[in-house]
Amino acid sequence: MNLYEHTIIAKQSLYEHTIVAKQSHSASQLDSLKTKYSKIIEENEGEVVKIDDWGLLNLSHKINKSKKGNYIHFKLKGNGLTISELEKTEKIDNNLLRFLTIKVKKFDLDKNYFKQESSSDKEDWKKKKE
Amino acid sequence: MPKRKNFKRNKKKSHNSNFGRLNLFHVPKYGFKKKCPLSGKNAPEIDYKNVKLLKKYITENGKILPSRITSVSQKKQRQLTLSIKRARFLALI
Repeated sequence: MNLYEHTIIAKQSLYEHTIVAKQSHSASQLDSLKTKYSKIIEENEGEVVKIDDWGLLNLSHKINKSKKGNYIHFKLKGNGLTISELEKTEKIDNNLLRFLTIKVKKFDLDKNYFKQESSSDKEDWKKKKE
Repeated sequence: MPKRKNFKRNKKKSHNSNFGRLNLFHVPKYGFKKKCPLSGKNAPEIDYKNVKLLKKYITENGKILPSRITSVSQKKQRQLTLSIKRARFLALI
């Protein structure tokens, strides 16, 4: 076995990856996007730890004439090959406005800054107000 | 001697005017905050996803505030600018 190959396989690091999809996409289309990219990650020596759905957010400035975007956030383990394969397909993808990968030392799995208020939370808040 | 009285009054006014302030954030009554708000124990973590925190350190037009105004330490200011630029790219800020 080649020594060099062995070292490449062993190297694994943590990444955060966010995608901004177009506003017009339905829930089923977004689900298909999620499965598509998580498949690509797993095929190329990677592993998906968590997928966060930030939902439909207002963009602070227009991107390609659109004002809103669907945000999907991946937390993944992988190496250089997984990231290059991911970004290669995303560059051609017409469904996306933006994508961003960031290498991190640690995942913060319990924090979610874009948590959407569920209906039960809103009711609780109303009760407190009364 | 009415003229002299007027002169004194003017002097008093100038003492309380806004010229003593260095910028809009500086309140002369409280002096300067020397401690960095982002370092030390219980300080919030700088992250491009934490939009609420990042919005404190930019102007209304979206410019990054200098550390001499916000008294953020140099190391944290570097992290802050990076995460602000990441958030800008994703159109969060």
